[in-house]
Formats: sequence, structure tokens, C-alpha cells
Amino acid sequence: MHILEYLPSSLEVVPRFVPAVIDKLKDCGLTKEELFDVKLSLDEALVNAIKHGNKSNPELKVSVNIEVKDGMLTMEVADQGDGFDFTKIPNPTEKNNLHKNSGRGVFLIKKLMDRVEHFDCGRKIKMVKFLKIGGKK
Amino acid sequence: MKIREEKVNDAAVCFLEGEVNINNTPELRKAFDGLISKGEKKVIVDFSAVTYIDSSGLATLIEMFQRLKKINGRLRFCNMEQKIKNVFEITKLHKLFDIADSRENALKDF
Repeated sequence: MHILEYLPSSLEVVPRFVPAVIDKLKDCGLTKEELFDVKLSLDEALVNAIKHGNKSNPELKVSVNIEVKDGMLTMEVADQGDGFDFTKIPNPTEKNNLHKNSGRGVFLIKKLMDRVEHFDCGRKIKMVKFLKIGGKK
Repeated sequence: MKIREEKVNDAAVCFLEGEVNINNTPELRKAFDGLISKGEKKVIVDFSAVTYIDSSGLATLIEMFQRLKKINGRLRFCNMEQKIKNVFEITKLHKLFDIADSRENALKDF
């Protein structure tokens, strides 16, 4: 299964695009728990790319590349914004940050996916999940 | 997401149904605004029909928690499915919020 899309920088596309991806992933044999984790991670990555990366600029696109292969799901989300220092993301579970009403997106992705990497000065995030039943090639 | 409100004793119970996500949190915030302006100080959010929550949903709940705290009010949650509870546990927000297993328990000593 392979999806490559270029989405407009509008949050309105997220609730249409993500369920469509999840429907396709259901056919790849992902468990309910895996689907929940993948949906939340993809949601958070897209919202970050649209809102914080591209700052909802309609002239900028968000690219999404999703592949299920050899029992592994890989999702890459890239924006065209200024990037950010991904080494300085505060830990939202620390006492001083627990009350803050932002800054949990990347943290959730890191907890729900098995491998998370940032590229291109923070403009691109790669998320990997090793699937329980191996997935379909 | 659907939001249904009811009054049980002196608590306002907010029953949420469906997904709580970035596209409908303004609606949730509006419902919370309504409860605050009605002078409600004890608010219970019933999660039994919530199927999904993202970081924006969490942020809206934190906002409501802080608003109620300022007026000596209280916010409690109940009936969370394990997958929703996991999101609160991962982010350690289960330490911040008062989460009861049932509506009856949420109403106790409230």
C-alpha cells in the first residue's frame, strides 16, 4: 500500500484525509490499537505541518508519503515552512509544563510510533510503526 | 462530535459523543463558555461515547480545568475507554485531572 499526496495548508483537509488513510490501512490488517496510534500520530503531524510549519499559508503544500511494506508502516509528513529546532521540544509531562495547553503533538507521536526522525531542519517528520501481524505487502 | 448537557444534583454533566479533535474543539470551548457563564462550578465530562481525542482536545480540557480552578470550581471526567485513558496516561494528564471510572463515582463527594 502506498499513498503520496500533496495537501493544501488548511486544517479542514485533515478530517477528510486522515479517515480515508485509516480506511486503506484497515485493509492492510492493522489492529484497532495500531489504527488508533497511527491516526493520532498522522493527525498531530499534519496539524503541526499546516499550523506551525506552513502557518496555514494557502500557497504552501504539505506532502504526505505513506507506505506499508514488509510488516512496517512508514509515514512521512513534510511542510514548506521555516523549520524548527526539534532538539529543543520541551517535555510536556514535566511538572512546569503539565498545565500548558500546547506542545503535546510531537510527544504523543514519539510515544505512539516505534521510530520517529526529523529531517530538513524540522520540516519533515518520518514515523515508523512495526506492525503486529506483519501487514500486507 | 455531539455535546449533550444535563444537570445532576448541583453538577453539570457534559456528555460528549464521537471524536474530540482540532476541528470541533471550538464547539467544545463554546459549550464550556456556556457552562461558565451560567455559573456552573462543578462540571463532569462523561467520556463514555468518546472514540478519539487529539492534543487539541486535551488543550481545551486543560483550559476548562484552569478556568474552573480560578473560580474555585472543579472538573471531573468519567467513563473513559482504555484507549482514551492511554492518551491521558502517556501525557501524564491523568495526574492533573480527576478521572472517575463511572458517573456515579464522579458525582460522589463532588
